[in-house]
Amino acid sequence: MNSSNRFTRRRFVKGLAIGVGLATLGRPGRGTAAEKMVLGTWGGDYSKLLTQNVETPILTPKGIEVVHDIAGDPQRRAKLVAEQRLPRGTTDLQALSAAGSREMFNAGVLETIDYSKIANAPNLLAQMKTPYSVGHIYSGQVILYNPATISPAPTSYNDLWDPKHAGKVGVIDIQYVGMLEAAALVSGGNMENFEPGKAKLMELRKLNFKMFPTNEAMAQALKTGEVGMCVMWKARGVMWQNAGVPVQAVAPKEGVVLYVSDFVIPKNAPNKAAAYAYLDAMLAPSAQIGFAETMGYNPTVSNAKVPDAVAKRIGFTKEEQARLLSPNYDYIAKNDSQLKEWWDKIFKA
Amino acid sequence: MAGALVGPATLAVVLGLLVPLAILFRYSLNRFVPGRLMVDALTVENYVKFFTDPYYMAVLVRTLRVSAVCMVLCLVMGFPLAYALARTRSRWKSAVVMLVVLPLFVGNAVRAAGWMVMFGSRGLLNTLLGVVGLIDHPLQLMYTEAAVIVGITAVNLPFMVLTLESVVEGIDPAIEEAAASLGARPPQVFRRVILPLAMPGVLAGTILVFILGMNAYATPILLGGPRFQMMGPLVYGQFAGLNNWPFGAALSFVLMAATLSLSAVSNLLIQRRYRR
Repeated sequence: MNSSNRFTRRRFVKGLAIGVGLATLGRPGRGTAAEKMVLGTWGGDYSKLLTQNVETPILTPKGIEVVHDIAGDPQRRAKLVAEQRLPRGTTDLQALSAAGSREMFNAGVLETIDYSKIANAPNLLAQMKTPYSVGHIYSGQVILYNPATISPAPTSYNDLWDPKHAGKVGVIDIQYVGMLEAAALVSGGNMENFEPGKAKLMELRKLNFKMFPTNEAMAQALKTGEVGMCVMWKARGVMWQNAGVPVQAVAPKEGVVLYVSDFVIPKNAPNKAAAYAYLDAMLAPSAQIGFAETMGYNPTVSNAKVPDAVAKRIGFTKEEQARLLSPNYDYIAKNDSQLKEWWDKIFKA
Repeated sequence: MAGALVGPATLAVVLGLLVPLAILFRYSLNRFVPGRLMVDALTVENYVKFFTDPYYMAVLVRTLRVSAVCMVLCLVMGFPLAYALARTRSRWKSAVVMLVVLPLFVGNAVRAAGWMVMFGSRGLLNTLLGVVGLIDHPLQLMYTEAAVIVGITAVNLPFMVLTLESVVEGIDPAIEEAAASLGARPPQVFRRVILPLAMPGVLAGTILVFILGMNAYATPILLGGPRFQMMGPLVYGQFAGLNNWPFGAALSFVLMAATLSLSAVSNLLIQRRYRR
């Protein structure tokens, strides 16, 4: 090796040492190991607000690093069932709709929640806890209407079938369960029986309703005035109002169907301790109030005092709360397939 | 040595395509139980469900019809453009070819969004027609079969043009001149000289466009709306929306079988007719 070739053994070993040193510098929390957990959740606003209200203020100081596994509800449920037989799953905690979490419980995929491990558990509202899930946020299904084009203000789901409003009612394709619930409540059905709602919905076809593929498409249509009325969660109505969509919300007199976002722990979660820490963090009053203010969903704990102005927009009055209806998730899980088929083949035809 | 070179590609196809297809076919024979996704079984009920339900057959027929119409439109619009591009000696030839290919750089969903702006009830087309005075109230263009056909044709046209252009370039212009000098008028030159010689390219282009049309997903969803069903979105709905993997798998194989068999049949028929 002549002297102009500077790549000697000494240089090689020096380079290696520097490389290893740089690699160790990159690791988080030199000194304290960061605990890592995986949360399955919807993306978009929900994921962003979880990071903003729960993870960054409460969990990161405790040294817990949360990774989001982002996908839709049905996809994550499919993954949970597919992973069922593995000794260690890929997620520690999952956020599912209440209907989805019930389906997963029936499939035997979920861990029974040990509420003694959650310090904030005593503050949970009674309807928001089940043996297998912890309710994070809730809202209710209301009628959203544009006061400029729909007058007088609707009071009942029957107003969607008022011939006076023909051509102004919008229906969202993915919210077929919500529409069936609304139709069932005004045609002799109830939370255990949506069948009378089918005939009622077929009547809506004569009234020139407009169908939209997603919630966002409906918001657009309400904003441009293409439609004037729809059925939607109050929380999303609040978000739409914030975005300039001219709608008001009214709780129908037949009842307000509850929507709850549940958190569940898979039986084969690798890091259950971190999952419980997350559950405790998300029930903290600060985190709950943060969600109420930014996303319009109501807290599931009794000790989160939401500012009055916000509470008036997102909450329900005492007499509205008296007619909150809890869906029968077993009924929905068993009938979802046939209801969707009816919706696709007969209602949308 | 040549065999070894093919090895990695073959392995990729086997692992990435054939093995998953075999697994999917096995799934299509399982039974769907709500809440438990899939129960091991050996049943053809998913295929029976498809073929005995007029709704699903209508979806397949609609998909075939839309793909066929798009294929014909692409051929009718693409051939003149391809011929002109192939024969031109202008220095802008490369630029024009680039312009034909440019739309492919933009994803299907983005292009469908563009069509939505065009076709909306307050969109560009309706506003223009209203301003000119041709209509009093907006036409319903969105969420129709016509909108889907326009969208799919727009996406597939570059493929047809490129395929045909390369084939026409391979036809010696001297042959056309010879035909003309023997007394053939331009339509005759086209029908008896150019078309038979370009047939391999026409076949390749139409099969390609047909396959793309059969498997279209973003365009039918965005431009057809929730009440317009084609096979691609139907398969997705079964897998991602209903978690009905057995039926979704059966739908996938029906779609694949329809596409493959029609492509193979047309290949045989045309080759037999135009074999030199």
